[in-house]
Formats: sequence, structure tokens, C-alpha cells
Amino acid sequence: MPHPELLLLLLADARLPVGGHTQSGTLEGALTHGLTANDVPGYLRTRLLSSTRVEAGTAVVARATVERHGSLDQVERAWAARTVSPALREASRTQGHALMRLVRRTWPDLSRPLDDVVRPSRSTVLGAVSAGLGLGAASVARLVAYDDVQTVCAAALKLLPLDPVTVAGWAAEALNGIADLEAAVSWAELPTDIPACSAPQIEAWAQAHAASTRRLFRA
Amino acid sequence: MPDHAPHRPPAAPAAARAARPLRLGVCGPVGTGKSSLIALLCRELSGRLEIAVVTNDIYTDEDARFLRSAGVLAPERIRAVETGACPHTAIRDDISANLSTVEELEEDYPELDLVLLESGGDNLTATYSPALVDAQVFVLDVAGGGDVARKGGPGIERADLLVVNKTDLAPYVGVDVPAMLADATAARGERPVIGLSRTDRASVDRIVAWVEEVRRSQAAGVLVPSDPGPMARHVHAHEH
Repeated sequence: MPHPELLLLLLADARLPVGGHTQSGTLEGALTHGLTANDVPGYLRTRLLSSTRVEAGTAVVARATVERHGSLDQVERAWAARTVSPALREASRTQGHALMRLVRRTWPDLSRPLDDVVRPSRSTVLGAVSAGLGLGAASVARLVAYDDVQTVCAAALKLLPLDPVTVAGWAAEALNGIADLEAAVSWAELPTDIPACSAPQIEAWAQAHAASTRRLFRA
Repeated sequence: MPDHAPHRPPAAPAAARAARPLRLGVCGPVGTGKSSLIALLCRELSGRLEIAVVTNDIYTDEDARFLRSAGVLAPERIRAVETGACPHTAIRDDISANLSTVEELEEDYPELDLVLLESGGDNLTATYSPALVDAQVFVLDVAGGGDVARKGGPGIERADLLVVNKTDLAPYVGVDVPAMLADATAARGERPVIGLSRTDRASVDRIVAWVEEVRRSQAAGVLVPSDPGPMARHVHAHEH
């Protein structure tokens, strides 16, 4: 296996063909319901304190579960119970499907632990595959968090007329919040360890977005 | 890179039925009539073929809703993909969202014969990846201007079929249809061009016959998806 750092870069790269360009991290719904460009840095911090902890915690626990040859089904159920919005669950499963396509072709052996999970979430897939790739728990947590920040920032550039350097600055600033998230989730081992701290307002925006007729992003 | 002919001689006896449905892409600029063409194909073919549609809407689910309201297919057979304002990416360099949706439809409806994909209206350079579709139609219309076919581009020059749509509007927009079709034909060499109007029955029959022909070659396993390419083909016009 190549160096874990290179694998981490590969998985974090927006050029990975897993449909990342279809997602806004609910930013589109949030802007439709009143958030402005000035609120985006706060929105990034909020996600890192709430819904992204659920996602990162799920990935960390999926990784630990594969390491101890446990069942990912319980991890997936714990994730679903903590992801209240059906729209967000659906969006994550769609992304999980795209990631599975990539994994099955690129690292066929690593997809085996996921064979019995029906439509796994993106975080479950990412965590399970990370185990096989030799990525550590903290790396997995950082990967999920970093991807979330960049998803919101890339969508911001599509949705708001901004100097891209400003947005890159927001991403750089948000990295501090990623360290806190990593400390909060990387110790997790069991499905019950996954934090249950989603953000009801983000879920409400995600639901409203899914029912809207004018949208650029899936979720 | 060598030219790939769209068809090669059959390697095996023609199968009665393809392993999976034909995936046919429809692309072209905004407003040229991609949705209408898909509705027309559904109307003409849904009596004898099992069809599903994937739309790539740029800003709305307008196209999916248009097709659902046209009543040409059961609404659950028409699915929309949001492309994050990247219609080009979604049909060419990261096709995962579209491919997943096509595969879902194929799983939900194992009897499908034909999946039609509609791209988001983009510019003249947008074409499908051959990894997503077996064949593709590029749609222009006379109202977009009689000189568009002459401007060329990968879709105009090398899509499997070029449709010049809304020929019935030509007198109102001052376009010479035969000249536009001649430009298109000159740009495309052997590849077919169809001037289409839904009020011109003969033109409708021509496009239906083309789809049937492509379907037959796909079912026989002799259709090789070809890439119109993102770039102008290098031509040595003045070799000595």
C-alpha cells in the first residue's frame, strides 16, 4: 500500500470522481433561508461542532469496527439514528454509492466488509475503507471534517459572488475547528460512542431544500 | 489518436436482447429543444419499448417536471440529477451521479430497453463521456441562428447524430434550413444530420428510425461508444 499520507490526499481531493460537485453541505438551503456571505465562516464552525461530528464519529467507528472484524450494520444504524433529516441520509447514501463504485474498482478487497450493508452512508464507507488503507482514526476524522469544510466553501463560490481567496481564507480559518473535532471523536470505538449532536436548523434547511424546485445542488 | 469508427463488424451472432438497455444521451445548448425531443421519442417509442429518463437540470427540476407533466412516461421513470452548476462535469469528467441514477433505474426496472439522458443545457463544447452513454445526439435549433452549425465543436462535428430542431420556425427567424443542414453535413462528413420539426412527420420518422437502428446495433453487441472529444480534431489540411 502507498504511504497513508498519499492515500489521504487522494481521498481528500475534490478531483476524486465521487460526485462531490453535486453537494453544498446544505449551504444552498441555508442561503435560501436567510444566511448571507458574512455568515458562512460561522456556518462552517457550526457544522464542525454538530453534524460533521456525527459524520466524522461514524467514520472513526466504522474504521475501528473493521479493525476488530465487527459488523458495520450497527454503525450504519447508529449513524442513521443520529442523522434525523431523510434528505441528508439520502444525500449521504448517494455519495456512499459513488464512493463504493470507486472502492470496488480500485481496492476490491477493501469493499468486502461493506458487502452486507444496504446502501451505506458515505461516512461508513469512508471509515471502513480507511481501515484497509492503513489510515489512523485521527486522519479519518480530519478527512471527513476537511471535506465538509471544502464542500461548503466550493459551493459558496458557486452560490455567492466572492473573491476565491476570501473563501480559501475561510477554509484555512476553519482548520482550527477541525483540531477540536478530531479530539472529540477520534477516541470512539463503538456505535454508541458516535456523538448525537446534529444541528436541527441545518436539518430543517436540508429538508426545505430537498422540497424546493430551484436548486443547483442535490443537498 | 486514431479515428474510431462508430461501428465494427459483428464478432458474434446478434443477441435477441442486449444485456442492458441502450443509454442514449441528448445534449446541446439551452433552449434548443432537448426536453421536447425526449418527450417526442417517449411518445413515439413507449408503445413498443420500455423507457426511462434521467434529466440533468441546471437550476431547477423544470426538465423533469416538464417530462412528467407531458404524461409520456410514468413519473417514477423520470429522475433528475442536480449537478451543482456543473452540467459539463456531470456528463463528462465525473459522471458518478448520472451513472448511479442510470444504474438505479436499471435495477428498479429490469425490463428497460432504453434510458434517455438529457444533459443540462450547456455550450457548444459539452459532450457525453462514452463511459456514460452508448450513443449521443447533439441538438441545435434554427432559432439559435443559421451560422451555429458552421461554428462547429465536438458535439456538432462528432456526436453520433446532429439534430437541427424547430425547422418549422425557419421562415420566422430568417434562417435558410437547407443551407444550415448543408453546413452541418459538411462539418460532419459521414455522420448523420436530421432537420427536425415535430409538425413534420417525415422528420419524426427519420429520428425514430435512427434510434431503432442504434438500438439494434447495441443489442447485437456491435455498437462501440465513441467520444466526440472535448477538443477540435487535429487535421493536416496542407500536408505536402
